[in-house]
Amino acid sequence: MADNISLLAVFPDLEPAADAIEQLRALGLTDNHMNVISGIPVTEAMLGRPSQWTNVPRLAAGGAVLGFLGAVFLTVVVPYLYPYPIQVGPQAFVPGPPTVVILFEITMLGMLLSTFLGVFLDSYFPNYRPMEYVKEVSDGKIAVFFICPEESKEKFTKAMTALGAEKVEVAEVEHL
Amino acid sequence: MAEYNKKAENDHTKAELHNHGEEYFREKHLMLDPLPRGQMNEMVMESMHTTSWKFWAVFAVLSAIVAYGLVYTWAKMIMEGLGIAGVNRPAYWGVFLVNTVFWIGISHAGTFISAILRVFKAEFRRPFTRAAELMTTFGLVQAGFSIFMHLGRVWLFYWLMPYPNERMLWPNMHSPLTWDLLAITTYLLSSTMYLFLPLIPDLAMARDRSTGWRKTFYKTLALGFRGTEGEWTHLRNAMNIFAFAIIPVMFSVHTIVSWDFAAATRPGWNSTIFGPYFVVGALHSGMGAVIMVLAVVRGTMKNMKYFIRPEHFEAIGKLMLIISMTWAYFFFNDYMVQWYGGDKWTHQLLHFHEAGPLGWMWFAMLIFNVAIPWAVLWNRRWRSTPWIAFIVGLLINVGMWFERYIIIPVSLSINRMPFTWRLYEPGVEIPLGIGTLAFFILLYMAASRLIPLVPVWEVQEGQMAHALKKYGRETVVTVSELE
Amino acid sequence: MATLADLKISEVKLSEEHVGKWGMVIDQDMCTGCQACVAACAMENNLSFVGEEDSGYGRSMHWIRIERFWEGEYPEVKMTPNQPMMCQQCGSAPCEPVCPAFATVHSQAEQLNLQVYNRCVGTRYCANNCPYQVRSFNWRDYERPEPLPNQLNPDVTVRRRGVMEKCTFCIQRIHKAQDKAKSEGREVADGEFTTACAQACPASAITFGRVDDPDSLVSQLARVHGHGVKHLEELGTLPNVTYFKGG
Repeated sequence: MADNISLLAVFPDLEPAADAIEQLRALGLTDNHMNVISGIPVTEAMLGRPSQWTNVPRLAAGGAVLGFLGAVFLTVVVPYLYPYPIQVGPQAFVPGPPTVVILFEITMLGMLLSTFLGVFLDSYFPNYRPMEYVKEVSDGKIAVFFICPEESKEKFTKAMTALGAEKVEVAEVEHL
Repeated sequence: MAEYNKKAENDHTKAELHNHGEEYFREKHLMLDPLPRGQMNEMVMESMHTTSWKFWAVFAVLSAIVAYGLVYTWAKMIMEGLGIAGVNRPAYWGVFLVNTVFWIGISHAGTFISAILRVFKAEFRRPFTRAAELMTTFGLVQAGFSIFMHLGRVWLFYWLMPYPNERMLWPNMHSPLTWDLLAITTYLLSSTMYLFLPLIPDLAMARDRSTGWRKTFYKTLALGFRGTEGEWTHLRNAMNIFAFAIIPVMFSVHTIVSWDFAAATRPGWNSTIFGPYFVVGALHSGMGAVIMVLAVVRGTMKNMKYFIRPEHFEAIGKLMLIISMTWAYFFFNDYMVQWYGGDKWTHQLLHFHEAGPLGWMWFAMLIFNVAIPWAVLWNRRWRSTPWIAFIVGLLINVGMWFERYIIIPVSLSINRMPFTWRLYEPGVEIPLGIGTLAFFILLYMAASRLIPLVPVWEVQEGQMAHALKKYGRETVVTVSELE
Repeated sequence: MATLADLKISEVKLSEEHVGKWGMVIDQDMCTGCQACVAACAMENNLSFVGEEDSGYGRSMHWIRIERFWEGEYPEVKMTPNQPMMCQQCGSAPCEPVCPAFATVHSQAEQLNLQVYNRCVGTRYCANNCPYQVRSFNWRDYERPEPLPNQLNPDVTVRRRGVMEKCTFCIQRIHKAQDKAKSEGREVADGEFTTACAQACPASAITFGRVDDPDSLVSQLARVHGHGVKHLEELGTLPNVTYFKGG
């Protein structure tokens, strides 16, 4: 059983990074042995990578439903919870237009709050544990992290450098 | 032949259409003038760190104004009661409400730029979405202060919040003020979240380039963001949802604020057009404020002249002109209908607006909101000049503050019981209002030292998408749809 | 917990037959403008003494005011009849829906508009929405130098700054009379008690009583005169005070 090591290759631009992904696949790595970290959102399609899943839209919809139910509680259930019916002006117990306003606002609040929290949930934020990273990424570079057998280290390093990698090194797990 | 050539030389617009070199485009458009990302990062960090003594002098003066005008005066008002303010019968609402509506109006510009312009893929928004979004959050803070100030028993404000309590009472859902509370809370939370999401990658960049307490600060706020495919996907998905969803929230917020007035039975208030009228008014004063902020940021912060260029003032100026026309349309709608078929009380009110003791304010409102923008902003060169745009924006904001003053305390002076008609004279509302303005600027200055003001990753994304292409003999700017 | 049966009680009669329960008739021809009603109301209901400056700026606390107008140009100036104005206890009150804290609600039992001091947060939306402008706000804590606190009516709360108040049709007197009648096992008789303003008026311009009882004095007066008006009726507020003048 060969030991695997994590390597990373930093590319200055989109084209060489896309070529590198193809080359890694040609050298026998599967997509889930590779990870791309970049400073701008290059889409997976640009790099020839499979599409990333995300739960955020589903969480947003769920939050909207929760918000709606909360608003229904406030407008339709609450007036009947009072020990004595409270009459204000000529308006019905559960007035039409104000109910629409409240339903809209709290539905939107639920949706947006859960979208925000969904990002946290899906990305496992906040995450202050040591992780694989290179500072060059925030300067706009594209870093390709991949796991390969230790004895092929030379082969992979040469392949990446040939395609234009600025640096190829062992990926260290460190505090960000 | 000679005549044609001379005309072509003098006519700038014509010249722009024909064969300009790449240099011309690079100078004019930020999106066509890319620098290496590392260099742009460095510029933004440098602008955040470079603080002159003048900054601290202004900071100290503003802090003093906040301490006296906001903290001390508000404490005094809480202890002594609203009697030291200028509200009375029949003007039970005064400058506090004017300021509340004013600040909420300013906050709408941020959402307009970061959400509506994003949805419509207006690329010129890229360098200043965060600067505008900061205005939203800080403006809403001032609006919150202003509305709390006007409460008679502000120490009991939490009774207006929906939570199970021993009084066995929930807030009254029939009341426009409850809708106000829920809408503004939703808007404040949403726009703060929408400010924070695109900020995360820039916080990661700042984290990578900082040491000491700054590094700890950015590291905590960046939440461990690295830029993995998953993180970007979740982030961009969320930003798209936010951009689309916050637009109806934004429209609903100022509409609900307008319903505080439109739902009442007062002459001049019970107008069905207040909803859209107020929303457009908010955009009007908001865009004026954005232009002011951009002019100040570009003029005072290092390296900002690269990011914020005359093209941005030109684009916002165009928008301001359109919004000014829309505002005039809604104002005329409201006025004409009341003038034509209104009852005797409404006619008394209109007469009081124009010919009463504060008639000068009414005329100034029209001049600042309509006449001056129309006279200045049509000209491309004028609206591209930062200091001219600043002055127009300032006058628009003054005019819109006058508009809200006319709608609230001046309109309240006239009602259906003539025995109670009385003028409103502001008291401590003035120092308190100035205190909120000073606090707004103070928060903004503090943010400019702590947060990268330009979303560099969005600028780079835009620069990636822009290219020059030759169509026949003409060089043209093209934008790819990268998303 | 409120039930469906209770819901029937809470439906306000919006039709022309709206009658209400407690109401007033004010004869403006009889009113001399002496302001005895204003003074009596202030004594009965523990109103604060605001002082000249604040009063001049529109901050008087009076729950009832005498409105005076004139017609014509000098020297042919004619005084019009004085107009006592107090809370009209609207059947369909515009002040009620707009309070976010439920501090002004409609009393089903008394058919009056209630002001609940200890829920009021002081947003003053109710005062803005009152077409009659009869609500008073406690702009400050006004002083009551000794021995004035001895004059306070123990049946009525003393309000502090930040709270809205208004005429209650002397609800403390209503409840007192009802309690007395209940303990004696009978109904409250017409004329057994009255509000402070009606009691003090030397010209008997204000009459208070049950408007849903056709035999009460207030209902009889309303029928006799025949040309009574309700102010700002066109707004649909269903006020419970009828005014006469020019008779």
